[in-house]
Amino acid sequence: MTFLRRVPRRAIQLTCFVGAVVLVWPVLPWAIAPRVFVEASPFVALASSIATRSIGVGVVLALVVAVVSSFKKRWFCLYLCPTGFLLENASHMGLRKAARWRKVPPVGRYVALLTLAGAVAGYPVLLWMDPLCIFSSPFAVNKATNTISVILICVGLGVLVAATLVFGMLWCVRICPLSGMQDMLFELRKALWTKFTAMAAPQKFRVARRVFFAGSGGALLALWARRAGAARYRKSDTLLRPPGAVPEDRFTGLCIRCNNCVHACPTKIVHPDTGHEAGLVGFGAPVIKFDRDYKYCLETCNACTQVCPTGALTPLDLAPKNKYIIGEALVDNNVCLTALGKKECDACELACPYDAVKITWDEDQYNAYPVVNDKCIGCGACEVVCPTTPVKAIRVWTQKPA
Amino acid sequence: MRRSIAAGGLFAAGSLMPVSSALANQAAEQSTTQTGAHVPATLVDGKVVQPRRELPVLQKTSILVVGGGPAGTAAAFTAKRMGVDVTLVERYGYLGGLATGGLVLGIFPLYDRDKKQVIFGIGEELMKKLDVLKYGIIDRNKAPVYPTIDAEAFKFVLADMVLDSGINAYLDCWGVDAIVDGKGAVRGAVFESKSGRQAILADIVIDCSGDGDIYAAAGAAFEKVKTNIGLISRIGNIDEVDMAIGRGSEDPEHPAIGKPSEGRPSKGRVNDLNGHAGNSTPAPHMNWLNMKGPVGDALDISDLTAMELKHRRGTWGNVEKLRQKPGDEQAYLAETAPQLGVRLSRLLDGVKKLKVEDIRGGAKFKDVIGYSGAYANAPEFQIPYGSLVPAKVENVLAAGRCISTDFQVGDITRLIPVCWVTGQAAGVAAALCIQDKCKPRNVNVAKLQNLLHQQGAYLG
Repeated sequence: MTFLRRVPRRAIQLTCFVGAVVLVWPVLPWAIAPRVFVEASPFVALASSIATRSIGVGVVLALVVAVVSSFKKRWFCLYLCPTGFLLENASHMGLRKAARWRKVPPVGRYVALLTLAGAVAGYPVLLWMDPLCIFSSPFAVNKATNTISVILICVGLGVLVAATLVFGMLWCVRICPLSGMQDMLFELRKALWTKFTAMAAPQKFRVARRVFFAGSGGALLALWARRAGAARYRKSDTLLRPPGAVPEDRFTGLCIRCNNCVHACPTKIVHPDTGHEAGLVGFGAPVIKFDRDYKYCLETCNACTQVCPTGALTPLDLAPKNKYIIGEALVDNNVCLTALGKKECDACELACPYDAVKITWDEDQYNAYPVVNDKCIGCGACEVVCPTTPVKAIRVWTQKPA
Repeated sequence: MRRSIAAGGLFAAGSLMPVSSALANQAAEQSTTQTGAHVPATLVDGKVVQPRRELPVLQKTSILVVGGGPAGTAAAFTAKRMGVDVTLVERYGYLGGLATGGLVLGIFPLYDRDKKQVIFGIGEELMKKLDVLKYGIIDRNKAPVYPTIDAEAFKFVLADMVLDSGINAYLDCWGVDAIVDGKGAVRGAVFESKSGRQAILADIVIDCSGDGDIYAAAGAAFEKVKTNIGLISRIGNIDEVDMAIGRGSEDPEHPAIGKPSEGRPSKGRVNDLNGHAGNSTPAPHMNWLNMKGPVGDALDISDLTAMELKHRRGTWGNVEKLRQKPGDEQAYLAETAPQLGVRLSRLLDGVKKLKVEDIRGGAKFKDVIGYSGAYANAPEFQIPYGSLVPAKVENVLAAGRCISTDFQVGDITRLIPVCWVTGQAAGVAAALCIQDKCKPRNVNVAKLQNLLHQQGAYLG
């Protein structure tokens, strides 16, 4: 490549990188900017619209990228992808042992196939490997409240940069599912004209076999993960998802760990899960924890539901968000100050934004204690004001069917 | 018999009319009976009629304090110390009101959000007297854990102080009516006791009755509220080991917690009391146990009667259930409080109605007479003198739980140490009225604040 040919690409790349940062930061007064950024990945747009059986604006964009990249190989990677830009620069600084990855098979296209097949089964298994999603995640780091969250939020991009420093462009060229998908589109376009028909029969068979195995593997993985997630949720008492979350069996698949919701939460109650709450399939997915003083899911906020690029969190207006059941508040009368006749405490009743908790006199028990009614959505306002320590007398628990 | 129900009593139906001073109208009626000669109520045309009569005047005094609870005793002590003549009248046979007879042994809210004590003055003085008594008070100066007093120790302290103070005290004496003059200004109050119905004439009346009986009878405007009425009890032999962590407190460093249920609490499941119930008291092996109680009308005798009976039955049943818990087999009901835990009944419409917005917004008042500590969701807040003075009626001040607040603020100002604060301020203000020959609403506020400050009260 000549110098003259390289400069415009660099300029476009730099513009896109800055644009990406502006969108994800987000410095714009545009609440859904982080979502639009991740949705701009054709891989995310395609897989999530298959998985959710819905078509958004992202799909149109994805089709444009798909068409262009089927003519110009890895066009998205070369010009638009901010992760690609970052890693390309990293590789210049790194050890540049390009030979190390030359023998690695093209994993990316199998990841893409696996994920798209999983998406058909409602669970796009490896969609979290999307480069824009990985790029978006570290921006949530200012909302991390502990070291583990910092690590979980930054691990994706951190690993990619580290790997690039050591192995060169291994990720972009061989592993990234977005580049894999573009490769496949490019080859598919070529094959439709000439190549596939020109192939020898055994070679045709090999290609078909790979596609079949990757596809069925993805579907099986999706079905297993859906069952595992649902089972874990049934057993859990403390697993709380942000408002708008789709049912748990699909949530951990649709959620791509972009941490946009973590970033959006003004009260910092959304945290990436270590797997403690939802197991392996839920690793890194957002959970709600009311572990900071006086911070709960505000009745004035629906920010997290607005920024999800895949529909793992359904976009909800304020009114429906305030009806979305995050969990249910339950009272332990063995701890409650009022139930134990220690104090005239009605902190939970006063704090509840939904009129869902009432200190109620029970003539049969001849005692008063907090009673939670059906208006409770599990926002945690009562839990955070409850004065008992270290165990709160009123806590939000995973909702169970009556 | 133009005015046939002149002495009908406050609680007789439809008789909220004040006793217009017998002195003012003495000559007007021929049927007025002689002092001391009793004429019973008579049945006339199916109506029970109390004949008009002159009441014996038991006492003429400068300041009359109606009610000997925390507010009343605080008012009487502080007024007496300013050298004026004080008469104190109490309905029960002991002093201290809900702090002793109501077994409200927890002295809260004493502290602000920074755990700094904001209530001093007479309250601090009383607690210091308890400090030197064995089993008198625990948890002093351990903010935010509030002190807990012993009811008998406090009765002793108050009796001791009243006996030595020179206050004219009348116990077992129920204030039932106001005496107002022709201009509607209060001139004293009427009492029922074993000695019959008698009057005490006074220049200033401080209504510390809790229910605002006197200002209501005098025609002051008020808001009537209904809230929960409970009955506190004391339980003996409650598991001592558990009590080490069973103290009520809002401080994370002082866990206020029983033994949590294992796992997820069931929806709607109610646990019986357990060994963590209640709060420890100065008396060993003894907890005081609060009861929220159902909502009732504290001015309705059938509500009050029902609560007195049902609460005692319910408390006994709860203690029997408690005894079935491992570790609590030896628990016993030491006593139920002699007095019902009436929280609020009447709230005065005063010169200043203290509202919840005021306390949330940290309102500062020029006529501040003291502070309430932070309680539940509310921060510490100033109490203005205006909330003790009725909007219209003269010569009467309110102190204690019946002062001029809205319902939510009243839920804090009703608490024991805040009653000390308003009682002390009312006592000093009334004494100033006598000394400066002015009406309560015209009291020199700067002078009042200066005097309160000299007496050790905290005004910010």
